[in-house]
Amino acid sequence: IAEDNSDLLQHVKFQSSNFENILTWDSRPDSSPDTIYSVQYKKYGEREWLAKEGCQQITRKSCNLTVETGNLTELYYARVTAIDAGGRSATKRTDRFSSLQHTTIKPPDVTCIPKMRSIQMIVHPSYTPIRTGNGHLLTLEDIFQDLLFYRLELHINDTYQMHLVGKKREFEFIGLTPDTEFLGTTVIFVPTWSKESAPYMCRVKTLPDLTWT
Amino acid sequence: GQEFRFGPCRVEGVVLQELWEAFWDMKDVVQAQDNVTSVRLLRKEILQNVSEAESCYFIHSLLKFYLNTIFKNYHAKAVKFRILRSFSTLANNFAVIMSKLRPRQENEMFSISENARRRFLLFQGAFKQLDREAALTKAFGEMDILLTWMQKFYQ
Repeated sequence: IAEDNSDLLQHVKFQSSNFENILTWDSRPDSSPDTIYSVQYKKYGEREWLAKEGCQQITRKSCNLTVETGNLTELYYARVTAIDAGGRSATKRTDRFSSLQHTTIKPPDVTCIPKMRSIQMIVHPSYTPIRTGNGHLLTLEDIFQDLLFYRLELHINDTYQMHLVGKKREFEFIGLTPDTEFLGTTVIFVPTWSKESAPYMCRVKTLPDLTWT
Repeated sequence: GQEFRFGPCRVEGVVLQELWEAFWDMKDVVQAQDNVTSVRLLRKEILQNVSEAESCYFIHSLLKFYLNTIFKNYHAKAVKFRILRSFSTLANNFAVIMSKLRPRQENEMFSISENARRRFLLFQGAFKQLDREAALTKAFGEMDILLTWMQKFYQ
């Protein structure tokens, strides 16, 4: 009778954000705490499983496979083997993983610059851990190129917002009232890949109009 | 709006994002049935460096094969796995794309169409090497690889 060791290993999957790919898994609460885990990975289409250095016989339940799964044109599998103190073992595999398809987008980093009658919003590049051949870090803008857009909103009051959408990284909301507070939000979205980041928010106050004082 | 530009072949009226979302809805169910993780049909070397001129011939062959062989024979599984909606969205859109492709047949295009045909035969050869059911499941589960390649021609 096959032993049911499913309590040793559950939810073996990739969590990917801005192309940082972390393998995570769980075990049932009542499983023994001194269970050790070993991780292997491979490209889809290849025969051999490769051991992930640094994630052999570990007790934690995560492993960073960003470098090993960093080729955007490839698909990957990973698998975890768990062995408990009693020698029971279980191995489970992830679903087929493509970072291009699976990664989520983090909110952008934005500098909001208030002026007297306008607010300038400068979106900074979003770096990923992926390196080019000559060692440069790729940005989301490099990876998605003309598929990536920024959508900015400025909340004037409860019922009225201003909107700007575009691919460049500098925006300016104009025609604003001096000495007034506004809430600005910025998201990155890649419609073709159905990806959208959570918003970056900044609350800023336009400068007072000192001309007549 | 956006369109596919496979070299001289233009295809409007297809929203690639809808194809992706249809595939993602069924991806895990479909790919979980494919346990032959050591074989990939749409290998990189088949899809790499396809010239614009070649792309229309190549996509025409691929879509024809997908519609006439893969979708046709996977329908029963689609019903069984309750993924008929995604299945239909993809099949219908592939049929639309194929109906609008007009690969040129002039003699001077022969060498280009032959290149495309060799690529397709590599894919078909790999398909035939597998057990029939395993091959159907694998090819159906590799539609994300196909869509990723098609995306390069979507502007």
